[in-house]
Amino acid sequence: MIFENIKLAMFSIRANKMRSFLTMLGMIIGISSVIAIVSLGDTMRSVVAQEYENFGSGLAYAYIMAPDDVYTENELFTKEDAAQLKEAMDEAVTYVGFSSSSRTDVKAGRKTETISLNGLAENPTAMENPQIIYGRMLKDKDIIEKKNFVVLDSTTALNLFGQEDAVGKTVKAMVNQQTEDLLVIGIFQNTDSALKKMMSGGSFAKAYVPESIMINENSQQWALYFCMAEDQDMTQLQSRIQSYIARMKNQAVENVKCYSAKEEMGTIDTMLGSLSAVVGAIAAISLVVGGIGIMNIMLVSVTERTREIGIRKALGARTGDIMIQFLIEAAAISAAGGVIGTILGISLVGLGGMLVGVGVVVKPTVVVVAVAFSAMVGLGFGLYPAKKAAKKDPVEALRYE
Amino acid sequence: MKEVIKIEGLNKIYDTGAIQVHALRDVSLFIGEGEYVAIMGQSGSGKSTLMNILGCMDRNFQGSYLLDGIPIVDQGENDLSRIRNKKIGFVFQAFQLIPRTSALKNVEIPMIYGGMKAEERKSKATDLLEKVGLGERVHHMPNELSGGQKQRVAIARALANDPALILADEPTGNLDTHSSHEIMDFFTKLNEEGATVVVVTHEEDIAQCTKRIIRFQDGQVISDEKVVKEG
Repeated sequence: MIFENIKLAMFSIRANKMRSFLTMLGMIIGISSVIAIVSLGDTMRSVVAQEYENFGSGLAYAYIMAPDDVYTENELFTKEDAAQLKEAMDEAVTYVGFSSSSRTDVKAGRKTETISLNGLAENPTAMENPQIIYGRMLKDKDIIEKKNFVVLDSTTALNLFGQEDAVGKTVKAMVNQQTEDLLVIGIFQNTDSALKKMMSGGSFAKAYVPESIMINENSQQWALYFCMAEDQDMTQLQSRIQSYIARMKNQAVENVKCYSAKEEMGTIDTMLGSLSAVVGAIAAISLVVGGIGIMNIMLVSVTERTREIGIRKALGARTGDIMIQFLIEAAAISAAGGVIGTILGISLVGLGGMLVGVGVVVKPTVVVVAVAFSAMVGLGFGLYPAKKAAKKDPVEALRYE
Repeated sequence: MKEVIKIEGLNKIYDTGAIQVHALRDVSLFIGEGEYVAIMGQSGSGKSTLMNILGCMDRNFQGSYLLDGIPIVDQGENDLSRIRNKKIGFVFQAFQLIPRTSALKNVEIPMIYGGMKAEERKSKATDLLEKVGLGERVHHMPNELSGGQKQRVAIARALANDPALILADEPTGNLDTHSSHEIMDFFTKLNEEGATVVVVTHEEDIAQCTKRIIRFQDGQVISDEKVVKEG
């Protein structure tokens, strides 16, 4: 009987193709936007996760919270502090440096590119480990000897010199408030996707220089950046660093803040998660609108087919049979819309992902929930018209013109 | 003789609030198995009301009605559906075929609700359509058939579940004379094969095709007589 009803529903959907399609369209748009939005959110989360993965999960930073936000020598860090911390932590911390980055124009001949210049301290590859394709990465020696060296990305090199292999060329750039000639010693592969660039807040390519040429020997910095060795218990090490800094700078331990990339990632992930949930919920409102469309068309259909209902009842259809027939019809329209919408939503996200060069994340749970929800919308909004159909009196219905 | 229809003291009052219409007054009626009966009357005589009650589509009446031994007044709505499905074969004035649905599918409908298996259903529907001379038009849609052909599909459909009673409500009302006689010949043939046929009509010549005529006026039976065939 259920099978017969499904066949009947399909038949009547096919009999009114245009109408069924337009009704489905509401569901298609609703479901595809929910899937697209939620998948976009999930994709962003995975990009963020990957970003932090690339960063090294051991990355952390520490600063001293100054009373009343007035920072004096006591709350700032010198190069010496950094060295002292590294020494004290021994193997547990692989890198200690400042976060010295500045947006700068680099010039080669008449060409100019804006990049983000990043200063690296000793053991630079612990902090940044780009994929070098020409030349070499910065070494400790370059940093200790304050060499005017730079490592550029392949795209910037191509834009400046017309070729990727720019090792041995020089560029002019503002470093530490002076224009300096920098020797290109290495080129790394630019692997950043468009979405990643967009999310990291600017489309400027990174370039690496020795930290020692970016900041003066005795300058004082607000925060220390460090990498924790992978075999360490992060939480324990963090508190060790905290208490060490507190002792070193004569501060109360609770004023020393230490955050790891992992914690930050967790925060961003939670934020993105709730953001996509909220936007997804807003998009889900369109599903309700789609549901109302289904209810509307089912009411029309029930009225139009009053005679058919009368005939069926006269020939032995029970109230439940009629009800199920119309309910299945509504659910079928809705579920078909859901399936088409799912395909459309996934292809939309996939296409977008392809354009910005990101692997798209579509969780199966999202698809299952969306399709189940669409069928439920169909059942929910189909219920009233179906009840109306089932309640018709056969005598009256047969006489309906 | 076994009684297919046994009605005693049947009263039907339409209560529209302001006025009460006494549609059937104290009707008693017995129709035996294998009878061929015409119920006649002008419009407003109560014959449509009686038809709805006989067809188990209306159980709001006073009195007793046994259809094939089953008391109708005590039945629930779904039980009535089941009784209609198993016991009654309807033929309507307006054919009442489901549009955009083939002759075959239309004939299958009572069997679907009767829970018959798909293959069995299909072969029986095909047989029935052949019986009414539409073997060639099994897959035609109702709008591709003439009035007479539509009514023959309806007759095939009425026979689907081997009903105890064939109930025809003005079956020739929408047909020309030629098709009308064709349809009445079918009923005659079915009756000769043993079917109990009740035809509700207001046309004298149609009534004359049957074996017994019950006349209604103002909700009451005014005459009940056998048809004397000429020659």
